Amino acid sequence: MKDELTLEVVRAMAAEIGLTRLTEEHLQQLLRATLAARARRAALPIATLSAADEPAHVFRLEDR
Amino acid sequence: MTDLAWLTVAEAAELLRGRKLSPVEYARALIDRIERHDGKLNAFLRFTPEIALEDARRAEAEIARGAWRGPLHGVPYGLKDIIDYAGLPTTAHSKILKDNVAAADAPVAAKLKAAGGVFMGKLSTHEFAIGGPSFDLPWPPARNPWNRDHFCGGSSSGSGAATAAGFLPAAIGTDTGGSVRNPASMCGVVGIKPTYGLVSRRGVLPLAFSLDHIGPLTRTVRDNALMLDLIAGHDPLDPGSSQHAAGASAAQLDRGVKGLKIGVIRHFYTRDMQADPEMAEGIEAAVTTLAGLGAEVREIQTAPLNEYLACNRTLLTSEGFAIHETWMRERPQDYGALARERLMAGAFVRAADYVNATRLRRKLADSFHALFSGIDVAVTASSMDPPCRIDDPKAIEYTYARQARAPFNITGGPALSVPVGFSKAGLPLAMQIVGKPFTEALVYRVAQAYEQATGWVARHPALSDQEFNLDAARIRR
Repeated sequence: MKDELTLEVVRAMAAEIGLTRLTEEHLQQLLRATLAARARRAALPIATLSAADEPAHVFRLEDR
Repeated sequence: MTDLAWLTVAEAAELLRGRKLSPVEYARALIDRIERHDGKLNAFLRFTPEIALEDARRAEAEIARGAWRGPLHGVPYGLKDIIDYAGLPTTAHSKILKDNVAAADAPVAAKLKAAGGVFMGKLSTHEFAIGGPSFDLPWPPARNPWNRDHFCGGSSSGSGAATAAGFLPAAIGTDTGGSVRNPASMCGVVGIKPTYGLVSRRGVLPLAFSLDHIGPLTRTVRDNALMLDLIAGHDPLDPGSSQHAAGASAAQLDRGVKGLKIGVIRHFYTRDMQADPEMAEGIEAAVTTLAGLGAEVREIQTAPLNEYLACNRTLLTSEGFAIHETWMRERPQDYGALARERLMAGAFVRAADYVNATRLRRKLADSFHALFSGIDVAVTASSMDPPCRIDDPKAIEYTYARQARAPFNITGGPALSVPVGFSKAGLPLAMQIVGKPFTEALVYRVAQAYEQATGWVARHPALSDQEFNLDAARIRR
């Protein structure tokens, strides 16, 4: 996925979510930021999760 | 000679209660100091001496008639400028919110008002508690009182700088990935990220809902415990607020560490990241000190630091972008470059990745808390490096991620940064003491024992050749 990410790809992705006012400098920042986020994703040990591992934000209703 | 700039909250409280010091004289002394020196440090984004003097006059009248409210009565404090104080703008150090006047006090501000504190102003922050240090915002970044050419940490930058500089004995900051403990470490003061939900987040501009914490910065451990006891407590209108009994942290401070079991998470700063040698030496010397005081010290292992950091940043940027998406669409040019880039990292995080990060969070937290079946508290690094120059963007970027604070935003338990000395260049070194949820009293107890055994708390930065020698005359003998 990382090697597919170019400035033009990021420009199109940004437009899809309404980020249409970004300058060229902003788009360069978005490219760098998205690459950094993908690197962090790769550092998440997702393979260690089992199907039963629940999210931290699952809540209980007994107090309501 | 007693210098009012370096009075602790506890010392000031004793003088004020005994009417040996006037709240008005105390406030005036600090106002003078701020006016004289803050142009070099930029700790204050909005300095409010008129409010301070009004608060101080009220405190003086109340104390005179015997209505002492407690240890903050008549004592100056400040708030990071993402915390609402009614009638003043909450700017988040951003052009986007420069006219955002708060309609009501955040509960943390209301509690400090009710305690009789003297409000000195709103303190500098990184933009939206994430983008800094930045020179492209309407206000300059705060600087390090130990050397103004150096970074003072963030995002609670002004809170750290003001406390270290002797402008205030206490300030309130916020912490989503380490933002109380980073300036505490860099400025040589004490800062805590308390247990998640212990202090109300309401009225505080969010960065990431599930990771945001509010905590005090002070020059001593005792003051930190006093401040946390004042601001902790259940808030039914904050959905993350805990109903766990809060307070009494200060009451257990002097029980020592003899017999306590302290785990050292050494792999965070020796294997997962390699701390600067001076920082590592400072932490190891502190561990030796704690062992010498009678603690049972042993090394412990948890998940690799990078797993915690990746989890924290995935959650933080996703939740942060959700908050900022509309502004990012409509006025991206009004952000500073650092905030814009750091927040945009959340724009394209996949929903599955966010959910998986929350699943990992639960696993990381559960396994970390399980360690406490064999220990009382743990210690580890805070920053890996002493403060770098504020005008060196590469050094800022390099050191920004080199920290071991974010793991405890993931686990949610208390994490306190305490000074452990100074580098050869005279810049502060620090370590963290961490606990399982709601064990703030134990964390403070260990920090207090260490602080009492060392002399770091007595050292203060020299802001100029001419310090305030007149202050002593303001204390009535």
